[in-house]
Amino acid sequence: MAKTYDYLFKLLLIGDSGVGKTCVLFRFSEDAFNTTFISTIGIDFKIRTIDLEGKKIKLQIWDTAGQERFRTITTAYYRGAMGIMLVYDITNEKSFENIKNWIRNIEENASADVEKMLLGNKCELEEKRQVSKERGEYLAIEYGIKFIETSAKASIRVEEAFFTLAKDIKAKMEKKLEASNPPKGGHQIRATDPQKKPTSWLSRCTLL
Amino acid sequence: MPDCSVNYESEIEDGQNKRAIKCKFCSSVILTPSSACFQNFEFDLPLITQTKNNDANPETEHTSLFWVVKDMFTFYNVGFSNAVGNTKFLTCADCEAGPIGYHDIPTKISYVALTRVSHGST
Ligand SMILES: Nc1nc2c(ncn2[C@@H]2O[C@H](COP(=O)(O)OP(=O)(O)O)[C@@H](O)[C@H]2O)c(=O)[nH]1
Ligand SMILES: [Mg+2]
Ligand SMILES: [Zn+2]
Repeated sequence: MAKTYDYLFKLLLIGDSGVGKTCVLFRFSEDAFNTTFISTIGIDFKIRTIDLEGKKIKLQIWDTAGQERFRTITTAYYRGAMGIMLVYDITNEKSFENIKNWIRNIEENASADVEKMLLGNKCELEEKRQVSKERGEYLAIEYGIKFIETSAKASIRVEEAFFTLAKDIKAKMEKKLEASNPPKGGHQIRATDPQKKPTSWLSRCTLL
Repeated sequence: MPDCSVNYESEIEDGQNKRAIKCKFCSSVILTPSSACFQNFEFDLPLITQTKNNDANPETEHTSLFWVVKDMFTFYNVGFSNAVGNTKFLTCADCEAGPIGYHDIPTKISYVALTRVSHGST
């Protein structure tokens, strides 16, 4: 029997062009597929499943299809987002300075309680570093968000970053649910639409 | 017909996928066991590797064996391409190999081609 998920979180990746947003979305590999067909159309979003504190969590992650270059990220893109990864490149001062602009953009367009996290990507390029780790930490403290340095290329802490963001969204959501719905005798409350448990595989496979 | 080379019947149990469905290239898990239904019909799926650079008219192959997924969040790991008409193409979430199948936007049903994936344990 297929197990259904407990939570569905919609996440966005935001930041200047070239900081590595698309790369943190997949396990970076030199021979990543670059077939003309898929790469011309572009990827809209990805679905990933993680196990968190005994719960099955589906992450639906959007990457801006390059709209960030034209600063045309609008309310439509932010709609329904529960978490946002703000990404800059530690070898690019400008991308770090622009984080403030991105945060303003989020405040103007996204829901007020969206969970945010700051990523300093390309951290394996120590010799080219322009933004110290301390400055990243300081900015995160200023905005009251979490911070982590990652490398999509060397697979450093990318998964940890997504887990951390998911964990914070889950905690926030459970707190909200509890406040509006005090738990009664062992009743499980689900944040997303619970799927009806089919009685047999036939009922699920009406297409056959 | 590339479909014929696949011994697909042993992969079906009670109309569903007996084993996990994985990426042929990087083994990323796409669907866990018993989460998709088998269906047989014809669809022209663009080739993973195109020999000519012709975006408007990609080379396709007849594909007829599919795993059907009604709720996109049943997928364990998967990528959805941008829309081409009423279709979004499915890719591996990790190496982005694809199309491994397609998603029909009006019906919200996704189809994974058996010949574009591998089957194994998770
Ligand atoms: N050295 C290094 N390069 C990276 C890293 N992540 C991404 N890149 C490179 O940075 C460039 C831009 O990456 P991309 O993901 O397309 O950036 P996006 O515009 O934010 O989506 C590409 O050439 C990547 O190969 C990283 O962690 N380290
Ligand atoms: Mg990108
Ligand atoms: Zn793959």
